Amino acid sequence: MNHTIKVNEQKCIGCVTCMKSCPTKAIRIINKKAVIIDERCIDCGECFRACKYDAIEILSTEESTLEKFKYKVALPSPVLYSQFGENVLPGEVLCILKEMGFDSVYDEAVICEMTSMAIEEYLDKYRGIKPIISSSCPVVVRLIQRLFPGLCKQIIPIEPPREVAAKNLRREISKKHNLQPQEIGIFHITPCSAKILSINYPETMGKSNLDGAVPINKIYNNLMMKIKTNKKPIMIQHHSNVSGVGISWTIPGNEIRNLKFRTVAVSGVIDTIEILQDVESNKLKNIDYLECLICPHGCLGGPLTVENRFIAKSNMLHLIRMYGKKRTVNTNLVRKLYQEKFFSFEHNVIPKPFPPLDPNTTRALEKLKQKESIMNQLPGYDCGMCGSPDCKTFAEDVVRNDILMDKCMFLPQAGDYE
Amino acid sequence: MVCDQFIVRKISKIAKMKDIIYKQEFNIQGGDFINGGEASCKISTILKEIGIDPEVILRVAVASYEAEMNVVMYAQQGTIIFILTPVKLVLQIEDIGPGIEDINRAMVPGFSTATDEMREMGFGAGMGLPNIKENSDVLNIDSETGKGTKLEIIINLP
Repeated sequence: MNHTIKVNEQKCIGCVTCMKSCPTKAIRIINKKAVIIDERCIDCGECFRACKYDAIEILSTEESTLEKFKYKVALPSPVLYSQFGENVLPGEVLCILKEMGFDSVYDEAVICEMTSMAIEEYLDKYRGIKPIISSSCPVVVRLIQRLFPGLCKQIIPIEPPREVAAKNLRREISKKHNLQPQEIGIFHITPCSAKILSINYPETMGKSNLDGAVPINKIYNNLMMKIKTNKKPIMIQHHSNVSGVGISWTIPGNEIRNLKFRTVAVSGVIDTIEILQDVESNKLKNIDYLECLICPHGCLGGPLTVENRFIAKSNMLHLIRMYGKKRTVNTNLVRKLYQEKFFSFEHNVIPKPFPPLDPNTTRALEKLKQKESIMNQLPGYDCGMCGSPDCKTFAEDVVRNDILMDKCMFLPQAGDYE
Repeated sequence: MVCDQFIVRKISKIAKMKDIIYKQEFNIQGGDFINGGEASCKISTILKEIGIDPEVILRVAVASYEAEMNVVMYAQQGTIIFILTPVKLVLQIEDIGPGIEDINRAMVPGFSTATDEMREMGFGAGMGLPNIKENSDVLNIDSETGKGTKLEIIINLP
């Protein structure tokens, strides 16, 4: 399995902070180093946030990859607009981004607005089990695959705006500049590590429409310097195109605008897991659309952003007020594209449940009983000193033969068990 | 009548089963809406740990949640016994409570005896038993008015 999160063994001192923060219990401390268990990691970035020693690293697209393309396009997440204070407008951000070495830059917000309409089209015709769950947060998609595999078919089979935008751009640019599609490199300027992963290893198609991703925090200093020293009048070519409806996607609860549908918007990993449990027991059957975003405050709180997420939200609300709620997209065009399946997944999300205690159900049950009896012997302090995040997970690791019982410092020592 | 299509069989005594490979009992307190739903959540977790098919887990989750909430809503107290055999999964829910007056009517989607208060909380849409039925392979109900209800939900394992 592939991930964008790696432990830097030189920097890791083997404290328990990242292990404790992991919502899927994917980290163990082995020989005083954090180790990520591939099958359990969903690339949410919680460990990256938690680590005080910069020992968790997020792999992003190398500069050399960018250079491979004849024509380079930047497609920033609208979150980027919220990072520089309320007086820096999207048009300026886009122009300066272009000066940093891209052949062109595009605003994703218009596509957000189109995607909203596509989602509404889908919901209008949908008659199956509710709620339909948003596909925009790649971590939520992975969380559902692993922890709630039965809900995979409730994920809306519509690609998130970044993918739709890239698909559209490749088509337009190759026509306009007479280029082969593979000569064009489209790069997402991203607030999150999981989007990098979803580009490198997509879950709903063979190959992503994007060619890579650049973290916002990687280009932030450079952009900020240029914004501060910029004296040239800003070309406002992009300015008029920015969609107020589209940029409001960055604020949870705004993916669909049609009040006919009942939406619930959740952000933050603990609440997301809780709400998905409710969906699993059919508690939310009266809700039409569920937006789950793993980061607190959604993408504005992404691990690769720079600005404080509360300030970023305030900046964003300011922009939304400024651009208004007027639709900028032609409804008939969206309907036509929707019918052509332009927004659709290539294939549905495939369940990838966590490995059971044992591939054989009967043996798995025996191990489950063992696990329960081990748990009864453990103190329940969840100290993490054994290298597992809590007593329950330790018991599970013991029955999986991943760890020895004597690692628990509160139990009688090894010899007693032989 | 609509309900004739349901296989509702009266059970006098909850059947004793052979080859039980796993059994766990949960207590449910009537009126405890705060913790209501926890037992079914634990059951789902167990099923995931032993690698049961996701589709089956989803059916169990829905059926057990509805059954558990019925106890919370209507009864004084109850138990859920969760049993696994190599071929099937059984949930036996037994409560001390008002019982179901007319089982056939209770099986009709939309029929509910819930109070306005319960409805305000989002319960009592009259889909409890129909939902359980829809998600189980066999549903046995035995109820005595004024005493309580026994429910046996059987879901076959693929």
